[in-house]
Amino acid sequence: MTITFSRGRRVAALATALIGVAPLAACSGGNPGADASGKPSGEIRVVANWTGVEGQAFQAVVDGFQAKYPGTKVKVDTVPFDQTQTQLAQQFASGNAPDAAVALPSTVRQFSKQGLLMNLDDEWKSWLDQGAYNDSLKSIVMGSDAHADAVYFKGNVNGLIWSTKKTDTTLGLTKAPATWDEFTAALDKANTSSKAFSVGAKDVWVPTQWVDPVMLNVAGVDKYQQLQQGKIGWDDPKIVEAMTVLTGLIDKYWSSDALDTGFSNEVCGWVSGQHAFGNNGAFVNAVVPSCDKNLKPGDDYSFFPLPAYKDQKPAQAVSGDLFIGSKQTKNPATTKAFLDYVGSVDGQSIWAKKGGYIAPNMKVPADVYPTPNDKKAAALWPKDASTQAGYDLDDWIGGEIQVKYRQALDDLIRTKDVASFTKTMTSVDTRSKG
Amino acid sequence: MMTSRARTAPPTNAGQNTSTVPVPSGRAKRRGRGSETRLAYIFLAPLLAIFAGFYLWPAVATFLSSFFTWGMLNPWRADQPDTWVPAGIDNYTTTLTSADFWNAALNSVVWLIVFPFLVVVISLALSLLIWEAKKGTGFFRSAIILPMTISLAAVGVIWGFIYNPDPNKGLLNAALKLIGVGNADLNIGPLELHLGRWLSNPGVLHLGGLDVRLTNIMIIIPAVWAFVGFGVITFTAGLTSVPAELVEASKVDGASRWQTIRHVTLPSLRPSIVVVVVISIIFALRTFDIVFVTTGGGPAQDTEVLGLLLWQQAFQFLDSPKAGQAAAIAIIMSFVLIAAAMPFLRKNGNPS
Repeated sequence: MTITFSRGRRVAALATALIGVAPLAACSGGNPGADASGKPSGEIRVVANWTGVEGQAFQAVVDGFQAKYPGTKVKVDTVPFDQTQTQLAQQFASGNAPDAAVALPSTVRQFSKQGLLMNLDDEWKSWLDQGAYNDSLKSIVMGSDAHADAVYFKGNVNGLIWSTKKTDTTLGLTKAPATWDEFTAALDKANTSSKAFSVGAKDVWVPTQWVDPVMLNVAGVDKYQQLQQGKIGWDDPKIVEAMTVLTGLIDKYWSSDALDTGFSNEVCGWVSGQHAFGNNGAFVNAVVPSCDKNLKPGDDYSFFPLPAYKDQKPAQAVSGDLFIGSKQTKNPATTKAFLDYVGSVDGQSIWAKKGGYIAPNMKVPADVYPTPNDKKAAALWPKDASTQAGYDLDDWIGGEIQVKYRQALDDLIRTKDVASFTKTMTSVDTRSKG
Repeated sequence: MMTSRARTAPPTNAGQNTSTVPVPSGRAKRRGRGSETRLAYIFLAPLLAIFAGFYLWPAVATFLSSFFTWGMLNPWRADQPDTWVPAGIDNYTTTLTSADFWNAALNSVVWLIVFPFLVVVISLALSLLIWEAKKGTGFFRSAIILPMTISLAAVGVIWGFIYNPDPNKGLLNAALKLIGVGNADLNIGPLELHLGRWLSNPGVLHLGGLDVRLTNIMIIIPAVWAFVGFGVITFTAGLTSVPAELVEASKVDGASRWQTIRHVTLPSLRPSIVVVVVISIIFALRTFDIVFVTTGGGPAQDTEVLGLLLWQQAFQFLDSPKAGQAAAIAIIMSFVLIAAAMPFLRKNGNPS
């Protein structure tokens, strides 16, 4: 078969070829130089990972920013919690970075190493001068470039043992257990027809929130922080002891379907009375109404902190969400104004008033918290968060160690084999070996 | 006006109309053929440009980048040799000596064996049943094909509900509760089963020194549910080409229905079976989305397949960085895919 063309067809073919190729040439583009000192205006894109009531609360913060700076618009791009780092990496790598984004300390360190983040030293200097934050909080937002590269937007205290008043009454729990023995006695009492704890370990971050408070209380804050910084390994005797205590709790008190249950079902598990307790962060106060909207915080459900282990000094597990600004932003003035706002008393008070939130800004007054549970949780927020407490180990380490740490925890839940867990983590986290 | 087709079309019969159609000289013929070739290339240029830009270059870039150390935040760029960090064949040797790789490879092998097998057997059986059915063939065909229209991510979510451990929410555990079995543990020879724990620990097949966890099977089942429609469409099309006279002849010769299927229908369906097997193998090896949604590769690394390991190394191990190793895995997977599909296509795919 022979194919030939008329002149018209030749022109059409050539045109089609050019149309096909043209977009390839059009792919390149440039970021015009921008100045952060101008007046905030125009649109910025912000990546966040809050949904449901938390998503509504964050939108209220965004609305507050837009009201303070008329002429600005914040487009919120919501991504799944577990996919935040991945999505940010893809967007930064493809040159399509958001102007600002929610982040964790590990993300800040990794992204700042590549010089991708805005330097916020000036903002932090101003906040420290005002006494809104302290050096301890600043150390959590430090990048690999030795600059403060993020804003501490949302605080949280973890290792809180939640239960309903109905359950407490059934168990005869009139006051919070003050010692480890009182705590395990209460758990033994609750361990009747079903296991004491509702656990949603199908969501991989849930078991990690068990490690932090137990390790802080068993190994102590110094050992915890040394492990976090990679100064000691997972085979340190105190760390092994902490993991052994945790494994004992898993074996004796965790629901057997923990690895099949997600976080939402975990919360509803203790709210409904199917299990007696849940070990959750303070933010759960705002999640409980999704299980039973008739329960009143403080009156119908509350929490107590995990008691000290034997003669160890108790330490609080904390976590939180940071915000980073992209160096690639085309609107640095509005981006900086946004970052400044989410770190301010005004911005943080908006969410604090809605509950399920602890403001890291120390100038946010205690009376903004709406429920007794929120007030009680805010009071647990340590003055010196980086030395008196332990920041979320999982959120801190990030990257390959984080992924393998979560996998090793899954295996520990199933096998209860502490030696195997220690061996795995020692081979995965080699930072202490230099 | 005379078109170029009319000017250059060779006579179909040498003795026909030679006086009215001018016969070009040898040089003119060559010039004409050269012009035609150029025009053909111009016509193909858009497609070639798209192929080169979106298929060929990414493949070449992936291959080249597998010899360098890089990550998503410090990507390998072909046009910036001063930023290259050569790794030689380290990405391949590290990958091939990594326990993570072999764990994921084993899980992918489970997919490669079980998924195509189930798809072919189930879709073939359903196609034959529908073909033989007297009534409701349209309804059954539509009902079977319908899951194919759902994205695999959504399929994972739907089956997540079916597998829910709470018998008040999960269909399977509700059924177990109804028959009074509950969360029973069974041991049948080398097979250890934990009913009710579908996605965390449904059981283990003990094969000497090798333990195959059955969680993979629990993800393969929804994938098969979604993919069987493709098999049914392909086999139904194949059944229309089974020679009716052969079927009639076999009946006249006294063959039973099963003998007719075995000796007449199935041999005639061989090209369709090859298509379904090859497409299923490709699907099985590159599976990612349904695993990601259903278990995320867990618990631990029980369901981590090569596609997921590759994704983790490229997008999650930002501090390592291991995108070069991810590229090496992609290249290894491509070779495995070609090696697995080629024999089928060579031996059975040739209609002659």
